[in-house]
Amino acid sequence: MSTTVPAGGTKATGVDKLVQTNPDYDPNIVVEAQNLSKVYRDFWGRQKVQALRSLDLEIRRGEVFGLLGPNGSGKSTTIKLLLGLLFPTSGRAVVLGKDATEVSKNERIGYLPEESYLYRFLTAEETLDFYGRLFDMPADIRRQRSAELIEKVGLTWAKRRQLREYSKGMVRRIGLAQALINDPDLILLDEPTSGLDPLGTREMKDMILDLKAQGKTILMCSHLLADVQDVCDRIAILYQGELKELGRVDSLLKVGDETQVRFKGVPESAHAEIRQLIEKHGGSVLALENPRTTLEELFLTIVRESQARPGHRGEGARSSG
Amino acid sequence: MVVESFPDFLKWLPDASLVFLLVLVIGAVLGTLAGYLIATFRHGPFEAFYVVAEVLAGAIPDFLKTSWRRVMAIARLSIKEAMRRRIVLATFAVFAFALLFGGWFLNTGAENADRLYLNFVLWGTQMLVLLMGILISSFSLPEDIKSRTIYTVVTKPVRATEIVLGRMVGFGILGTGLLVLMGLISFVFVWRGLSHTHQIVGDTQTTAALSPIDSATGLNAQGQRASDNALKSGETVFESGHNHSIELIEDIRDADSKPINMGNVLRQYDRNDGKIVYERVICNPAYGHTHEVTLVGEGEEKRIVLGPAAGYFRARVPIYAGSLIFYDGQGELKERGIDVGTEWRYRGYVDGGTYLTPGSLSRAVFDFNDLQPEMFDNPDRINLEMTLGVFRTFVGNIQKRVMASMRFESVPNNPELEDRIVSDTIVFETQEFEVQTLPISRKLRGERQNPNGTVVETGEFDLFDDFIKGNGKLRLILRCEDKNQYIGVSLADVYLRGKDDLFWANFLKGYIGIWIQMMIIIAMGVAFSTFLSSPITILMACVVILVGFSSDFIRGLLLPTAVGGGPIESFYRVITQKNMEAGVEAGMVTSLMQETDKLLLKSLEMLTNLAPDFSKLNFAEFLTHGYSIDTDRVLVALAMCLAFWCGLAVLGYFCLKTREIAK
Repeated sequence: MSTTVPAGGTKATGVDKLVQTNPDYDPNIVVEAQNLSKVYRDFWGRQKVQALRSLDLEIRRGEVFGLLGPNGSGKSTTIKLLLGLLFPTSGRAVVLGKDATEVSKNERIGYLPEESYLYRFLTAEETLDFYGRLFDMPADIRRQRSAELIEKVGLTWAKRRQLREYSKGMVRRIGLAQALINDPDLILLDEPTSGLDPLGTREMKDMILDLKAQGKTILMCSHLLADVQDVCDRIAILYQGELKELGRVDSLLKVGDETQVRFKGVPESAHAEIRQLIEKHGGSVLALENPRTTLEELFLTIVRESQARPGHRGEGARSSG
Repeated sequence: MVVESFPDFLKWLPDASLVFLLVLVIGAVLGTLAGYLIATFRHGPFEAFYVVAEVLAGAIPDFLKTSWRRVMAIARLSIKEAMRRRIVLATFAVFAFALLFGGWFLNTGAENADRLYLNFVLWGTQMLVLLMGILISSFSLPEDIKSRTIYTVVTKPVRATEIVLGRMVGFGILGTGLLVLMGLISFVFVWRGLSHTHQIVGDTQTTAALSPIDSATGLNAQGQRASDNALKSGETVFESGHNHSIELIEDIRDADSKPINMGNVLRQYDRNDGKIVYERVICNPAYGHTHEVTLVGEGEEKRIVLGPAAGYFRARVPIYAGSLIFYDGQGELKERGIDVGTEWRYRGYVDGGTYLTPGSLSRAVFDFNDLQPEMFDNPDRINLEMTLGVFRTFVGNIQKRVMASMRFESVPNNPELEDRIVSDTIVFETQEFEVQTLPISRKLRGERQNPNGTVVETGEFDLFDDFIKGNGKLRLILRCEDKNQYIGVSLADVYLRGKDDLFWANFLKGYIGIWIQMMIIIAMGVAFSTFLSSPITILMACVVILVGFSSDFIRGLLLPTAVGGGPIESFYRVITQKNMEAGVEAGMVTSLMQETDKLLLKSLEMLTNLAPDFSKLNFAEFLTHGYSIDTDRVLVALAMCLAFWCGLAVLGYFCLKTREIAK
């Protein structure tokens, strides 16, 4: 759990354990969509909606890939096609070198659905035990892995309660735990932060980054732009089933003709001098002000301080009040 | 009781396996064709070919690599899920409620009260368990798909076989548990419901309470006719709606034959002719049961104690004849008996001749095989039980019973060389709707005939040592002795009564029948719910059950001998306005039509096997009528259950595999 492997690293993972029959298999390409299209039809075969149009995509080992788009843009459809929950109308989806409809690829996959569709009458322990059995795990490994994951997602105190008594955030956490039960190489997360409070969102993002640090490949889809920006290496933007943009987050967001400088410990009197220097080089100053923290950061600071010192008003609250 | 099939598992198995394979092949061909058509609709004719091939090729590893750990994981989940739905609890609650208050309405004083009780629990259990089976199996998968919980299951390395089998096994285990519980409770309910004893009318409860029989009229103190050998009589008090008469009888026996129960002997003395007289107190049977009498105390006046009800819970073992053939009035061999018109075809009839043509040679011949003395409780006196049909061409006095006769014959292995032993004719009276028991003594008077029919010896012959000898065969010839009247028999109407089976073992077999029906219905529910919604699944399961219950009728329509021909010929008759009986002009078109019909009828007949024949799976009637359920019959039903499970698991697999789980 603690070894850090750089993105695109060559750690021997379970991918290699899968028996490969695909001669074109490149172990560095974990997910590949070729001309993938999906048309939803009604009972009589009439076209209802074209959910995905000729999607070409490659996701490399060790990266966090974000599928971005408004509601109904085809994000979930793409994930369902990659999981074999839907059959493509045309094109092909290859996951870990195998066709998406093949069951054996699931050995090395973890999937967190949009809403954690879990059996509400099971407890957290029973849930993980059940999914562990589906991976044909022996009892002792199942028990050990369940305990580790429950600890990791912070539900040890509620592990014997039925999921129907859980809050949405707790269900989301146990949903993530079930996705990780088999220590997968590829993790598909459908709207991982939906329904979570800022604290939960932050924890989820931290967990994603932690998984990335372990060399896992992650494909997530979301319409919450900040989340994607925080964790993803590369993103694809979908709109009405079509791929509109694809690339690295840092290069996509880079504004080429502007430069941002942040410094500390310089008095306000020096600002005029700085303006003059910029204008001397032919530039114009767009903003020269104290930076603001994000509301998320402020909220997290307050909560963490409150947890550390119960009964005291937080630093952040005083400074903003 | 109507019994039309006498299965022999080992003989049945090869033919049944062939039918199973044929149905499987036809199903596979039709299924592949349907799959290809659907794939063509989705992908076009060329790609469809590859899609179908891929699905078929993928099926083999899916079946071979099925993991039982995963199957059992899904089975456990299904059990928990079904328990949570409370269908099982509701079923048990209805059952418990029915038993709690059902007892009020069951009349223990009725004739055959055991039949009433057994019918009640068996029918109730069967209906509740089948209903529960349909409900839990039909709702589970569609509900799982609707709530999308199945997403987290199918995205694990779980094969469609494991999902289908897991559900089937899970619900099977749950249903079995419930059925075991219901069976045990039913057993106790029936046992306790009928358990009773009586006291004797009179303060003393002793033999002094018995009053003498009027020797002139033969009537007892209550004015009823007493047994011929009765000395005194009395009666019990009313209990469970009935009472019994008690008699002190004079049982005269040879010195070497003691009564089995000596506990009810009041006194015994030697008669001057070398026989011993036992004066015993007996309780006369009433309402299908009796009570064992025990005399307690010393001296002349002993206390009479009646034991618990005996004779209720029987598992009679009928030893049926291997074959039944008929001869008509002229002595011609016929496969069936005389057809007496629009009567039930189950029985064939033999006639007693008419006044114009007396001396009818009409007879029914039963050939028994493999008879051995060990098969009977008391080989010295075996019981022949009969339920004969009577057809009267004139009524006259409807109360008058019809005269019939029987005789036994040995069946030599080589009739041209070996002698034959023929018993004297035993004449008896019979009547419709009556179960008769004729005790047959081991020593029968008769004659030995040589192969050309000459009598070589007359005298007393031993049933086992002379008639049956080494080959275990015995022939029974039944005739009607009343002119203008007919006696109807079927193979199951006449049987020798063997040693009784244990009642609890028979009870268990009866419940195995219900279990088999439940298991098939659960498999159907799961298989259909892989491609249908819950209400449609329930509807479809009900349709298959209805077809299953009437499969005999449907098969009758598909016989090549059916009037009017097959589907094409019938259609031809409709459009050309020909009646059903009129001949169709010969020619190539007719031949083609009739040959195609034959093929169609055969295929349709094969398809009727797709619905389980529930009449073959239901043993309740045997149990309620007190007959032992043949182990071969249970084995046939178990094999049918296994065949349906295999077929339905395959159907469920392909339907689940080829459907899109997500929407």
